[in-house]
Amino acid sequence: MENAWLIPLFPLLSFVFLLLFGRKLKEGSAYAGILLTLASLVFSVIVLVERMAAPASYKAEAVWLKIGELELTAGFEVNQLNALMLVIVSLVSFLVHTYSKGYMHGDDRFHVFYAYLGLFTFAMLGLVLSPNLLQTYIFWELVGVGSFLLIGFYYFKNEARAAAKKAFIMTRIGDVGLLIGMILLFWQVGSFEYDEIFAAVEAGSISGTMITLTAILIFIGAVGKSGQFPLHTWLPDAMEGPTPVSALIHAATMVAAGVYLVAATFPLFAASETAMMTVAIIGAFTAIFAASIGLAQTNIKRVLAYSTVSQLGYMMLALGSAGYVAGVFHLMTHAFFKALLFLAAGSVIHALHHKQNIEEMGGLWKKLPLTGPLFLMGTLAISGVPLFSGFFSKDEILIAVWAHGNYFLFILAVIAAFFTAFYMFRLFFMVFTGEARSPLGNVQESPATMTMPMVVLGVLAVVAGYVNTPWFGTFLGDWLVEGNEALGHGHIEGPAWIMIVATLVSLAGIFLAYLMYYKKSLARDWFTSRAPITYSIVRNKYFIDEFYNLSVVYATRSVSLFLRFIELFLVEGLMKLVAGVVSLLGKSGSRFQNGQIQTYGMAAFLGLAVLLLIFALTGGYIG
Amino acid sequence: MNSIYLSLLVLSPLLGIVLLAFMPKTGEKGIKLVGVLATLPATVLALLAYFSYQGGKDLADYGEKVRWMQFGSFGQLDPNLFTVYYELGLDGFSLLMVVLTAVLASLAALASFHIKREWKGYFMLFLLLEIGMLGVFTAQNLILFFLFFEITLIPMFFLIGKWGYFNKEKAAYSFLVYNGLGSAVLLIVIMVLFAKTGTSNIEALKVFLNTEGAQLPTPVSDSVKMGLLIALLIAFGVKLPIFPLHSWMLRVHVEAPPSIVMLHSGVLLKIGAYGLIRFGMGIFPEQFAELAVLIAVLGVVNLLYGAFLAFIQTDFKMVLAYSSISHMGIVLIGLGANNEAGIQGAIFQVVSHGLISALLFFLVSVLYERVHTTNINNLGGLAKGMPLTAGFLLAGAMASLGLPGMSGFVSEFMAFLGLFREMPILAAVGCIGIIMTAVYLLRAVLAITYGRSDRQYAGISDLRSFEWAPVLVLIGLIVLIGVYPAVLSQPLESIVLGLGG
Repeated sequence: MENAWLIPLFPLLSFVFLLLFGRKLKEGSAYAGILLTLASLVFSVIVLVERMAAPASYKAEAVWLKIGELELTAGFEVNQLNALMLVIVSLVSFLVHTYSKGYMHGDDRFHVFYAYLGLFTFAMLGLVLSPNLLQTYIFWELVGVGSFLLIGFYYFKNEARAAAKKAFIMTRIGDVGLLIGMILLFWQVGSFEYDEIFAAVEAGSISGTMITLTAILIFIGAVGKSGQFPLHTWLPDAMEGPTPVSALIHAATMVAAGVYLVAATFPLFAASETAMMTVAIIGAFTAIFAASIGLAQTNIKRVLAYSTVSQLGYMMLALGSAGYVAGVFHLMTHAFFKALLFLAAGSVIHALHHKQNIEEMGGLWKKLPLTGPLFLMGTLAISGVPLFSGFFSKDEILIAVWAHGNYFLFILAVIAAFFTAFYMFRLFFMVFTGEARSPLGNVQESPATMTMPMVVLGVLAVVAGYVNTPWFGTFLGDWLVEGNEALGHGHIEGPAWIMIVATLVSLAGIFLAYLMYYKKSLARDWFTSRAPITYSIVRNKYFIDEFYNLSVVYATRSVSLFLRFIELFLVEGLMKLVAGVVSLLGKSGSRFQNGQIQTYGMAAFLGLAVLLLIFALTGGYIG
Repeated sequence: MNSIYLSLLVLSPLLGIVLLAFMPKTGEKGIKLVGVLATLPATVLALLAYFSYQGGKDLADYGEKVRWMQFGSFGQLDPNLFTVYYELGLDGFSLLMVVLTAVLASLAALASFHIKREWKGYFMLFLLLEIGMLGVFTAQNLILFFLFFEITLIPMFFLIGKWGYFNKEKAAYSFLVYNGLGSAVLLIVIMVLFAKTGTSNIEALKVFLNTEGAQLPTPVSDSVKMGLLIALLIAFGVKLPIFPLHSWMLRVHVEAPPSIVMLHSGVLLKIGAYGLIRFGMGIFPEQFAELAVLIAVLGVVNLLYGAFLAFIQTDFKMVLAYSSISHMGIVLIGLGANNEAGIQGAIFQVVSHGLISALLFFLVSVLYERVHTTNINNLGGLAKGMPLTAGFLLAGAMASLGLPGMSGFVSEFMAFLGLFREMPILAAVGCIGIIMTAVYLLRAVLAITYGRSDRQYAGISDLRSFEWAPVLVLIGLIVLIGVYPAVLSQPLESIVLGLGG
């Protein structure tokens, strides 16, 4: 554990190395990236195992910045949450590095892609290891840049440019919330360190309002990063990036950073009922809101994007309902099955020569004999079908929400689960079953570099749930909260009927999708033709983007134009005044320069007289 | 105590001026070479001073003091009264400024390779400007400071007026008028102080004006002090610039040759901040504390005003000009906080913005050299033809918008950390500026580098030979400060400690 700081440095090395030499290596760059992230993965696993065996966390720090007598430190910490996250991040990153070798094959800027992946992985691992809020914020911004660069990877596309810009700015709005929250906390506690903040919270040295205020400000940061309502619109647009990026950044790791942040500062949140309620409500609302948009999208990646937003909402809901373990557990299972789904979607897109519209697909089950079943496994996991990983983690969340007494939010979560099962199977049936709805060209299964990472994730999407089940024991939960009472219990007991309801709801969603898109015994437009307005609103994502364009963007421009008005009249006016006075002085001065000796002489004597007079009156120096 | 190290450092560019005077006007290569080489001694000496300070050398050893002139007949009473010395010296803050100036001057001299005509006159003025700037930061009394301050004005006037773009004359005159008026106000302050206290030495003034019952030729009342501080605020507010005294600076940014803007934005604007900290805060600490709220408000106004206007500019140079106004707002925010974190943030911002704006303007000059426009509506897709330039431009923009790991973040963070302690609501309003900075910079930079590339830029050349040095040195320093801020904070320790409320 003492050497855990090495873990982020491997990908950093990859970034620097590929920036310098990538041009010469061309596609050989992939090996550098893959090997270095493999090193990170190996170290991460070792650290996780060590942490499991060790009785306590490890923390090392050094002074980073001195301000007068204040000392801000930097360092790293290995606790249960960090150690788990390290493995998730480095594993998914390693798999995506491998996958990209096939997916990005033939791209001009292949090495740049790997360099950016290295930068992102470095920042994400650094974020996870941070022992204090300041360092978290630093890496928080750096993962944002990694995401920005990769969304805008196809820089020549105007959509990619717009999406990259939007992602950066919208997450920055959230980041400012985090920044304010953390500075306010600093002046309360005198430190950015997590443990000192928690100690201050526990000792009651921070007022209740201040805890609520700072917790909500920190949560705003998480809302931006995790694409929660109302800052969610950047995440679906981020699908302009290459698909492996969507899997790594916009599904498994970075967008989960918001959830991670709330989990890492959980004792702060737990001290404020209002803050917890805010987290739970935003989470539940986002879960059902995004799931409903997912019902009507036709781009394969956008469906998955809205599903990510919705699942992140689930995790927030869990945390806000005091279900620390449930939230972190779902974060882990989601990382695996969503990465799998994105990589499988990437495999489909790759096979179809960059077609993404599901209306044009169909009948790919036979043509993609590996991708199809793997995609199905991911779909079953996310839909919460029993025995798959998503089933266990979603069940934990529902129990936590029920046990916390948020019955209304519980109902929302159950409906969202129904939507999820429906739109995921709609996606599956439309892509893999039936007949192709447009000429697809020569469709071939992807190369092994792409399918192997998917197989690994496919296995994990099934088995990852068994580390924390009500049947075989809640190992993960017990370990996560070990030695820290503020995090709550490792397992929350809930009524057995919740599990049955969850199963029934997800099966109902699947069945409905089956009727509509496979058997076609129920017309596809059965609902849309009956409620055209609702359909149009949902299909247009509730017109949120349009609303922002008309309000925020317009307001910003108006302010700017108003200031330009001030600039033109007031500031330039001042300039003219100054210039006018100076030239007036100059002109009147030049009038005296008329060449008449008498005038000069008179001026000189007058001046002398005045000076003598002043001297006589004041008797010396003017004071 | 009397070494001539600093005199050598400050006056070393003179050697180049003399050498250039004897060179033929047409020898382009020779002139450029001498021009660049003449900036190196100062850089070497400045870096040497920095590293020997890190090695434990006392900065007081660099002081030098020679009697220069005396007014009146007070020699019998007190040989120091109304006496002006030629005195140079260094402390942590001025050391950083000298290093910044010397390094930027060398890089700007390299950037001057893009100058197309009359190299001889250009480099002679350039070197004179460097002497002025180095002198400003080492002068130990107000009269000497003023002298060097004026030395910077004249070469700047000609450099803008002769080697600039289309509206160069107008820009040069508005530069002269505004700065001339600022100097006039500054001169009044200096003369009043000198007349009332009999000294212009900064340290002596600090002691005299802030000790109860100090022996002064004429006592200075608190209201006079306040008046003098406000006058200083105006004098240096023109330089910084503070809204609404900024319009001259926009013209200079747009019309002056980019190599000169590197120095102008990188160093000359910082004289305003230097003056406010050294004289305003140093000599009048109590009055400064009373004005702190006003200064913080001015800072937030600068920050937001610059950011919102940068958002609608179509000329990239204008975007950067307004961005400078906005970033100088952060200096004011830090000073307005008037506590250790804020002041250290302000000083960090002075250095950091110097490096970042020099980098961005250097890239502007690289860009203009090739595409002959800086209008962002006419540009696009440059990442295709010039991937390296585009990459560095993006890196510069990231540094400017305060990306952690680069110098801009550390300074912005500390300035806001300081202000949040004193005036949280105002600071929260200021945070809108953090968002807007990202908005306008990405808008401008992505419009230039991303998007579809025009065919007319096919076959354009990327960074070449001498253009590498400034880019790498500047990026290197920006990242170094961002990752290991002790390079700046360590020399500042003794200065910041105990400052402010």
